[in-house]
Amino acid sequence: MNTTQRSGVLNFMHYRYFKLSSMLMVAAIVTYVLAPVGDEPYGGTWLGYVLGIVSALIVLLLLWYGIARRRTPRVRYQRPHPKNGGHKQAGSVQPDFSLRRWEDRGRHLAKDAWSHGGTLQGWLSSHIYLGASLIVLATLHTGFQFGWDVHTLSYVLMLLVIASGFYGMYAYLNYPRLITLNMGEETLDDLLHKIAELDELARIHALGLPDEVNALVLKARQETRLGGSLLRQLSGKQRNCPTISAARQILQLGSKYIKNEQPELMRDLYAVLLRKERLVLRARHEIKLNARLQFWRYLHVPLAVALLAALLAHVVAILFYW
Amino acid sequence: MIFCLLIRVSRNQQGVTIRKESTVAGESIQIGRGAACKIRLFDHRVALHHATLRQSKDGELYIEAEGEASLKINGVVEQNASLPPGARVEIGPYLLVVDPASNGPYISLSVETVQLPSIHGAGKVRRVGPVTLTNLGMSKRKLSFGLAICILFFFLLLPLLPGVSSELDKWQSSLPVTLTDSWSPGPLSGGHGVFGAKCSSCHQRAFRAVSDDACTACHKKVGKHLTDDALHASLFKDVHCTECHVDHKGAAGLTRHDSSRCVACHGDIKSRSAKTTVANVHEFSTDHPPFRITVQNGKDGRPAIRVLQNQKGKLLEQPGLKFSHQVHLDKNGVSSPEGDTVMSCHDCHRPDEPGIHFEPISMKKTCQQSGCHGLDFTAPVEGVIPHGSEREVMNRMRSYYAKWLVAAPENMAECGHNGKPENSPQQTLACAAELAQRNAAASLFSKNAGCAECHEIEASDDSEVPWKITPVRLNRNWHAKSVFSHAKHDTTDCTACHDKMNSKTSADIAMPTIEKCRECHVGDQPVKEKVRSTCDSCHRFHGGGDAVK
Repeated sequence: MNTTQRSGVLNFMHYRYFKLSSMLMVAAIVTYVLAPVGDEPYGGTWLGYVLGIVSALIVLLLLWYGIARRRTPRVRYQRPHPKNGGHKQAGSVQPDFSLRRWEDRGRHLAKDAWSHGGTLQGWLSSHIYLGASLIVLATLHTGFQFGWDVHTLSYVLMLLVIASGFYGMYAYLNYPRLITLNMGEETLDDLLHKIAELDELARIHALGLPDEVNALVLKARQETRLGGSLLRQLSGKQRNCPTISAARQILQLGSKYIKNEQPELMRDLYAVLLRKERLVLRARHEIKLNARLQFWRYLHVPLAVALLAALLAHVVAILFYW
Repeated sequence: MIFCLLIRVSRNQQGVTIRKESTVAGESIQIGRGAACKIRLFDHRVALHHATLRQSKDGELYIEAEGEASLKINGVVEQNASLPPGARVEIGPYLLVVDPASNGPYISLSVETVQLPSIHGAGKVRRVGPVTLTNLGMSKRKLSFGLAICILFFFLLLPLLPGVSSELDKWQSSLPVTLTDSWSPGPLSGGHGVFGAKCSSCHQRAFRAVSDDACTACHKKVGKHLTDDALHASLFKDVHCTECHVDHKGAAGLTRHDSSRCVACHGDIKSRSAKTTVANVHEFSTDHPPFRITVQNGKDGRPAIRVLQNQKGKLLEQPGLKFSHQVHLDKNGVSSPEGDTVMSCHDCHRPDEPGIHFEPISMKKTCQQSGCHGLDFTAPVEGVIPHGSEREVMNRMRSYYAKWLVAAPENMAECGHNGKPENSPQQTLACAAELAQRNAAASLFSKNAGCAECHEIEASDDSEVPWKITPVRLNRNWHAKSVFSHAKHDTTDCTACHDKMNSKTSADIAMPTIEKCRECHVGDQPVKEKVRSTCDSCHRFHGGGDAVK
């Protein structure tokens, strides 16, 4: 894990929100243990109501983050103005490409007072730590009473949102670095072009070789899949990848075609397919990492909105049948 | 040394060719998009250092691809090739043409951007599917709204509907899965199951707490906490059933068992009622006052009194019976018609059905078991007297003597008659009465024998029955204000709590004190290896404080 990344979000203001949520959790646990609320703890005791209201307010605050981050003005990569010291200023806001999309905004805005009373980085830090504290607060609110009802549904949805959030935090702290390691300065389009060129090169090499080899090369060209369905993107794999199997089979066929210039062509073809295999694997890895970097939000956001709906139903149910 | 005239060819909007010329020179000339290259080609399909122009030993120029990069020379993909005048080199989207005027190390290269076919086009990689989640057409917004609408429909709208119409409420409560099931926080307790999913049975008004009226509509006989109605009304006007009885807890039951609600008042009971004689209590194991036990020491029908167990002087029973537990529980046995019999507590104290108290002690079932304490007499007449009132005893005695005198008139001599058979019935009855009274005085109602073995006998003004047995009042409920289940304590010997082995008189009280209970029991706060006991383990709230539910 990159120290710079962690210090940005988790270590915001010397762990301010870590301390805050820890205090909340400890206070909740101590009160739960010591408070005289009776033998049968449940959400309807005075402590249950307090924990429930605090948890609901935190949920609303966390949901507000979703709105706040959209309201935040986009980072403007201002060109250095010659009159304002040019390069010096530009260097101070040098973007960190390992944290593109999400971190950029937080990092840059951390330096500017945000019009809504804080920086996005601070919001994110509080989002993570307060979200984690809900595991304790809301669990104590339930009094460990669970059932097949809207109340437990709200609780389970909340846990799912938090779990997806934890995964998201893990992804954003790790995957950008892995993406950089995998891709260097190239883009996916670069790889695809190179793969296309290698396909062409392989086709040309194979022209002077028997049909068997040409069939393998054609199959590797036409049936090698990149991307695709959600699961294919997330797994980053293709079962029996034709490119990989073509390379293996070309190696085995090397002892069969030994006439004239065939050994040399076979060797060249093998080299081309190996290069393509490496590129295909890199492209799939890129697609996989990006999919995994994005996918959690397709859980986190809809589940959070579902949680809001369930929470509304939970509160109305409690008040309606008081 | 290579000298290269670089001609960059582009076209303006009208399609007119524009040529910009520059020169580069060097031992070798690097081509790529990197800054270190002498010929820079700005496209991502071009590697940083894509290829190099070199001069062979014989002076011929050739181009060589670097690393994994590839070149297409005259339409053929190559790794390296010589560059005769007119050669066409494709690098990424660029076409480099060697001018025919080139000569040896002096080369003229025109560079033009030509659009290469798309990678998604026919004949290239055909199986490139969506490479991002966005390409899949997934929408967080649609997912969010879809989920939220489903939840609001099933878990908010549907459960609210029965509140709108009682007909609908009735109909839905008969469904296998009802509209309100998702709102119920747990199964109803015990008998409340009859309400099923008809929430309005108890929750009569929306957004209002369950009222006491909803409870008392069925539970009409629930007793009050205090016997003083006025005091009860003033102290409990703001206390509602739901404070202690919370439903939807299934098997856990309806009643709160913890002591906090009790201690809220009884922790400082004087502040609630200045006249009370009840002491403050917070916790059984610390400040619960000594037990106040019911003692039968009032003679002549005076009611039993309740005595604190620390008031030793008042702790005397007067049950009107002479009884020694020591004699009956002798380890060597007590003599009986069946020989010496070793007795145990349960021979006389038999638990009643609920296991709380014991069956009443009776002469017939208890004292006369195994033939003990028979009431038969032999001289001068034989018979059995009943165990009942003194008058019944005397009547039975007279009848025995009357029969005896009729069967043998000569026995009339005992009364000073001549013993002839012509005695009148009146004379016979008078004689029987006289003999019965004489015999009773000497045996049954004597000071230390007969009835007096167990009973206290006093003189009476009644001429026919001049004796009176002190009424027997055996204590059956020592703790009138609390409940103690002997059945739950049957794992313990009786004598562990009741020290009766050496008791010689019925005045002895052998009720365990609170200290004895505290050996095993603690109060609300759990203690390891102790039994947690809350107020309602022994006391009942309803029923005027008496031990009734």
